Amino acid sequence: MTGVPPASAHTVAVLLDDALVTLNRAFGVLRRRNVPIEGLALHPSGTAGEARLTFVLKADAVTTDRVAQQFQKMIGVRRVMVLANEDSPTEAKR
Amino acid sequence: MSEMLSGAEILCRALVDAGVEVVFGYPGGAIMPFYHALPDHPQLRHILVRHEQAAAHAADGYARASGRVGVCVATSGPGATNLVTGLAAAHMDNSPVVAITGQVSRPMIGRDAFQETDIIGITLPITKQNYQVQDVSELAEVVAEAMAVALDGRPGPVLIDVPKDVQNQKIAYGAPRARARGQSRPLTPGASPGLEDGVRKAARLIAGAERPLIMVGHGVILAQAYNDVRALAEKTGIPVITTLLGISAFPDGHPLHLGMPGMHGEVHVNRAIQHADVIIGIGLRFDDRVTGNTASFAPQARIIHIDLDRAEIGKNVPVAVGIVGDARDITRRLVAAVEPRRCERWLEHIRGFVRTRAESYRGNLSPEAILASIYEASHGDCTIVTDVGQHQMWVAKLYPYQRPNTHITSGGLGAMGFAVPAALGVHLARPNGTVWAISGDGGFQMNMAEMATMVQEGLPVKMAVFNNGYLGMVRQWQQFFHEKRYSCTPIWSPDYLKLAEAYGIPGYRVKEAGELAEAVGRANAEPGPALVEFMIEQEANVFPMIPPGGSLSEPIEAEPAAAGGA
Repeated sequence: MTGVPPASAHTVAVLLDDALVTLNRAFGVLRRRNVPIEGLALHPSGTAGEARLTFVLKADAVTTDRVAQQFQKMIGVRRVMVLANEDSPTEAKR
Repeated sequence: MSEMLSGAEILCRALVDAGVEVVFGYPGGAIMPFYHALPDHPQLRHILVRHEQAAAHAADGYARASGRVGVCVATSGPGATNLVTGLAAAHMDNSPVVAITGQVSRPMIGRDAFQETDIIGITLPITKQNYQVQDVSELAEVVAEAMAVALDGRPGPVLIDVPKDVQNQKIAYGAPRARARGQSRPLTPGASPGLEDGVRKAARLIAGAERPLIMVGHGVILAQAYNDVRALAEKTGIPVITTLLGISAFPDGHPLHLGMPGMHGEVHVNRAIQHADVIIGIGLRFDDRVTGNTASFAPQARIIHIDLDRAEIGKNVPVAVGIVGDARDITRRLVAAVEPRRCERWLEHIRGFVRTRAESYRGNLSPEAILASIYEASHGDCTIVTDVGQHQMWVAKLYPYQRPNTHITSGGLGAMGFAVPAALGVHLARPNGTVWAISGDGGFQMNMAEMATMVQEGLPVKMAVFNNGYLGMVRQWQQFFHEKRYSCTPIWSPDYLKLAEAYGIPGYRVKEAGELAEAVGRANAEPGPALVEFMIEQEANVFPMIPPGGSLSEPIEAEPAAAGGA
């Protein structure tokens, strides 16, 4: 399995404080909520003190939105973006 | 003007500045500087518990009864880990608790020092936020922020881990400023964009409904939306269901009150859900103990879900209309938006589902009779704190709650051992009211050491122990689902009267209904703590029961005919 993610895959990007405890909490959300993820990457976002956590969710849009909401309410998370396959990024609803 | 203060002194000052009056805790090596500073701050009353778990449950009970933040304190390592169950309970039930833990000194962190534990790592998934204070200059602001975060939006526990050398660090102290939270958003969004639209849609659904229901949860108590929910029910004639944590949000005995839904809900309540065409859910999360199998939950209903936490909308059940916001605010808007109506035919329909109970009890010592005696002795004016198990369900179903927020229990986590320590906290929040802690013989034995706390601190909590010689709820499951193999559920108890005597408090034993009024009356009238043991039917069950994962349409209403067979 390489290349194109399956049709029911969504990429989620989370911009968050690059403090270890915040990142730990973010990974905890993925682990604890039993989220089916395919890949996980962590990069500096380009803004000082901010990291970008990106992952591919093997899930439909509803599940993806639910996961986005769990991040949305986390202290230290600044922005959550859902990228539906090749679509342009959309901001998760508040 | 500023003065030189130690971290420990700043910690005490910051708690006083935040309006804290009671702290539940237990000293130990890494928190000793805090305890050294504490006597200089008489505004902070410290309650010395007998186990840190009790400190966390007591802080939780205090928070639920007062609506303010409950504070608990423990040392590093075992002190901190003993808080975990209490924090998890507060997290599941959205109770604003701030836990302060000592930590080994910064140079020792990460070296597996004596009594070092990564309490930040351990509590990450069971706290809203946690902080390890790396420098004394952050301390006052961290405390102020933690207190705000615990209460803000959907409440919950926050932990502050303070290394011992930070407690000893000195710094010039000024009044704490509310710390700017970086670019983080506030947890409570203002009016959400779709709010007006959602309220309009909800009002339309309600107008067109033939069999509507209101289901209220803990959110109604947290938001103090009692009058608004009542106004909504009375304007529309829609019957009201209260979940385990929603109990007392709507007066029992009100003609529109149906009772508790779910696994141990009455048949007519669950049938009403299964027949409903519109459900207005306010401040509940449609927990699996409420819904049973979600695939068959309320199959005809369109659900209007009002919740403060957007992540709850659609999490467990699909919703037709989701409205994000404070229960009181949204319900008030909904009251204004709906047309007056009645639901007489629907209520008649529901009344047709009502079953009369026909269980018999040894010495007529039924749960109803016991709870009626507590109600009478306290003139219906007390707070009931329950533990977890059969007695918890009996109280939830049978106690005639009249006043809001007078029922406190560990709902989400279901932590046995909760009642006795939580009741300490409830008493401190409501010093002029009566508090009854009701437990089974299992849960009571988990935290009965807190009787010593009551005696030492002068906390007149009334304790009721439902003694059936079993871990009753597990035994019931064994009877129904595990071939009646009572594996490890018979439980021995000490002589509770002698135990009470050992603690220097009055104890009473009730074996039959005729003895109830006197024993409960005397215990209730005692100026100090008192204990009453009820020798109840050993193999009584809580009926009805929806089997775990089963449908609300298929309750077990009586003991399986061939118990012990297939």
